[in-house]
This record gives sequence, C-alpha cells and structure tokens, in this order.
Amino acid sequence: MAGVTALCAQGTPTNNPVKINLPPDSPLTLISTDLGDSHVTQRGSAVVLDLDVGLTLHNASPNRVRGVTLLVSAQEVTPGGKASVSVPSLDVAPNQNFPVRINLRLLRPAQMGGGPLVQVNLDGVLFQDYSFYGPNRLESRRTMTAWEMQAQRDRKYFKTILAAHGLDGLKQAMLESLNRQAERPRLDVQVSRGRTVTSAAGAEHAAQFAFLRFPGEPVEPVDGWAEIAGNEARNPRIDVHNLSSRQVRSVEIDWMVTDRQGKQYMAGSVPASGPEFNLKAGSTSRVLQDTALHLSRLANDGGAPLAIAGMTGFVGQVEFADGKVWIPNRESLANAQLLGILEPSPEEQRLMDLYRKKGPKALADELNKF
Amino acid sequence: MTHPDQTTLALYAGQDLGWFTRVRTRRHLAGCGECRDAVLAFASARDNLVALCELPALSWSRMAIEMKANIRLGLAAGECVRRERSAGRLDLFGIFSGARTLAACGSVMALLTAGLFLERPTPPALPAMAADGAVLRATANGIELNQGGQTWSLLHVRSSDVTYSAGAQGSMRAGYVDSDTGNITINNLYVQ
Repeated sequence: MAGVTALCAQGTPTNNPVKINLPPDSPLTLISTDLGDSHVTQRGSAVVLDLDVGLTLHNASPNRVRGVTLLVSAQEVTPGGKASVSVPSLDVAPNQNFPVRINLRLLRPAQMGGGPLVQVNLDGVLFQDYSFYGPNRLESRRTMTAWEMQAQRDRKYFKTILAAHGLDGLKQAMLESLNRQAERPRLDVQVSRGRTVTSAAGAEHAAQFAFLRFPGEPVEPVDGWAEIAGNEARNPRIDVHNLSSRQVRSVEIDWMVTDRQGKQYMAGSVPASGPEFNLKAGSTSRVLQDTALHLSRLANDGGAPLAIAGMTGFVGQVEFADGKVWIPNRESLANAQLLGILEPSPEEQRLMDLYRKKGPKALADELNKF
Repeated sequence: MTHPDQTTLALYAGQDLGWFTRVRTRRHLAGCGECRDAVLAFASARDNLVALCELPALSWSRMAIEMKANIRLGLAAGECVRRERSAGRLDLFGIFSGARTLAACGSVMALLTAGLFLERPTPPALPAMAADGAVLRATANGIELNQGGQTWSLLHVRSSDVTYSAGAQGSMRAGYVDSDTGNITINNLYVQ
C-alpha cells in the first residue's frame, strides 16, 4: 500500500488504483477491499505495479452461490486486452461472506493519464440451481455452468468410490488422480492473434484433425484442419454437425497435438459462440479462430520447439440456446484415455489439494457436504 | 636447271600462288616441257575433284522421313533388347538393372531416414509475435499479456500447483488453489 501511495504522491496515476463496480441490483455486495502487499517498483522510465487485492464479498441473494467471475480491466495498459478472475466450486450460503483475491502486475510507462489503474466489474454469478446473474461479457455463464457440471460429475465419482470402498478406496482413487496429474504431458503454449510476423516460417501445410467421438454427444465434429508451420499451429477450422433436436449456442472443441514420438498433449481449446455461430438442430456450422498457438516443450524438458505430427479434436462443451450445457462424462473420458492428458476439472484440482493438505478424512467430510 | 617443287606446281595449277612466285614459275614453264606437263596433270586432277564433289539432286523431304523412320526403328529395337536383357540372366549391363538400382536407392533412403530419426530435427521456433504485437504466455508465477511493450500479468503467488490452458479465441487460463482461502481460483487473460 505504501508503494501505491508513493506512486500517487508522484502524481502519476490516481488516488484510487483499484475501483470495484458492482451493479445496484447485484446479488453480491462488497464488504471490504484490502490492498495487502501491493507495491510499486520503478524500472527506468517504466513502473511495475504489483497489486494484491483482497475482496470480501457478501451473498445477499436467497440462493447458494456456486461461482463468481470478475472482469478486470486496465484499459490504459493494454487497450485490446482484458482479464478475469473466477472462483468456481464455491458453496456460499445466503448472507455468508467469502473472499476473492486478485493478484496482478502491470508494467507501464511512468507518465500516464489519471483515473483508476484497474477496474473490477462483476461479470457473472452462478447459483446452485444453475440460475445466473450478470452481464456475461466473457461467456461466464457457459464457463461456470460447465465447471459446475464437471464438479458435480467428479464429486459423484469420488462419492461413489467412498460409498463402495470407504476411506481406503477414496485414498487409492486420489493417489491415482495425483499420479495422473504428475505424469500428464505438458507443453509451453503461447497464444497470438492474427498472422504472425516471421521470416523463418518454414514449410507451411494444412494438417487435418482426427476426431474422437463420445456416446451421446449432441454435436459431432465432421471435418477440420489447421495450418502448421514449424512449431506453430494457427487458424483452426472445424465443421461441426448438430445431432440434437435443440439449437446450440456455443461449442468448444478440445485440441490435442501429437509429437513425432506419438506422445499426445493438450494444446488448447477452440470455442465458437456468438451471433455468427448459428447451429440449429440438424445443421452444420464452422468453428474457426484467427489465432496462432506456439508449442514448445517445457523448460525442464529442454524447451525445444515441438514438431507437430498430428492433431486430434473432441467436443469438450456444448451450450444449448436455453443455457443448458453438455460435457463428456467421466466414463467416456476414461475410455478414450483422456484422463491422463486433460487438465483436471477445477473441482478435482481442489479436492486433490484438500486431500494432499488435510488427508482422506477431511476429503470425505467435504464430499459428504453436498 | 632447277625445277619448281611439286607443291609450287600444284598451287600454280590452282592459281593459288603469290604474284612474284607465279611470275617466276610462269617463266620456268615457258622453257620446261616436263613441268608444263606436271601443271596440266594437276589442273586435270583438280577439275576431276570438283566434279566428284558435286552432289546429285536429292529429295530432302524423303530423306527426312526415312531418317525419322530409322530412328523409330532403332528405339523400338532398343526396347526389345532391354526387355530381353531384364528378363534374362544378369549380363555386363545387369549391374545397372532395375532391381539393383532400386535396392541401392532404398539403402540410401534408409540411411537418410535413420540419420534424420537419430538427429530428430526440431522445427524452427517461430517467434510468437503477432502483427499487432499481442502475445499471451505462461510465466513462472502467472500468465502474461504483452502488447506494445506494456505487460499485464495475473499472478498465482499463493500456489505452485497450477494448470494452464490456452484458448484459440485468444485467451490463456491458469487455475490454482489459493492457499489462503482454500478456493480454486482461475485467472484468465484475453487478447482481442
């Protein structure tokens, strides 16, 4: 805080480095804002602002809150960029308070205009009954609904094991999850929008996707390709067909790449939504993004650029026009041997952390809560 | 009396001598019958040679047709001989037969493939720099948006166990459990 105050004394940005904006009819109210260890460091003609913002929010609604997404903007710093901080897997009863922390760092010229450095707006709140409040500028409704469905799916899986095999079975299942995540192949991925500027692009070719299919999926990928040049994959285009009788609002295709040794990695996801994406019942539409992914091995694995030998896609999420969301079930993911490749759901990640810090008994108590 | 040599007489017969030698030779011929006969013999032989060099009237079109026909015939004959050679036992030219050439090429290809596999060439690392200079990446303690020399990072200072995922719409996500609150927190950066 002292650093921020010092910066303000220089007359550089503002007296209010962070501004929290909650709508008057918001189901959440702001109890307190704590700037904790926030500080400023001068680097030549630039300053680095480390903001450590602790918010305490109050659930003023009659429903239990399952997730919150806050839109964070620093318009003067990155005109084309925005950020969000989401807290899923919550279980906040009416009239309860809960914390949300925002840690961000801005590197910017020392001399810039006034006004708040960072503005925080509420983008969405998801409740226990899947009802939603908020402007949803960041597709928070779909994202948080999918996270909540994944949480229900994974909690059910571990609860079933607990009921059938007790604490020992739960412990075994947790160890398997932890091992899977420890051995999950990972890549260093960088994302850039638009066409890259390079003089050493190498041979560029269009590579086709292979697709995994899940039983009961409402949308199937039928054809797709992306441009490959060196370790860069860009402009994915995937044709999807709506097998259901309902209109689909958005689709997210998960994107895996294979190296020359046949090892598979998660590269990212290819979402499609918005008014230009119109997928009526029985129709086919195209998922496309004008983005480039740069794939390299992790620094502790040599950090070499990844030679992309193949690409695989599968449907990760489908959101219908009524706001309901479809996700693959755990059995389908296990049958396709994807559990060892996909990152865990936020809830599974939280449960693993709880098990690691507090043991199987605390985990069982958590699972028995709801 | 000194006689001109035979070369001089032959050149005189062909009127190919220089002026001074021609005058001197003419003066000698006026008094030497033997050399005059030799000059007449050279002149006669020369006339016969010119006559021999004259070609009879030829039909060039007909000759061209015949030449093409002969070339085709030669090629066809060559094909017959090649088939016969490849079907038969190995002979002197067998070392260049299709099977051996194929085997040699295959060996070279296998050697090159093994070399490439052992070397495992990596593709060129393309700079992750878009035309507008906006790049999203994961760093040691967060996710970062770099645009126009300015940087914006969302940090996960209270956890070391982080999952990252990239979105092809231009986003980067980091999920971690905040050790202070115990809540899973998911940071997202978007570039437009």
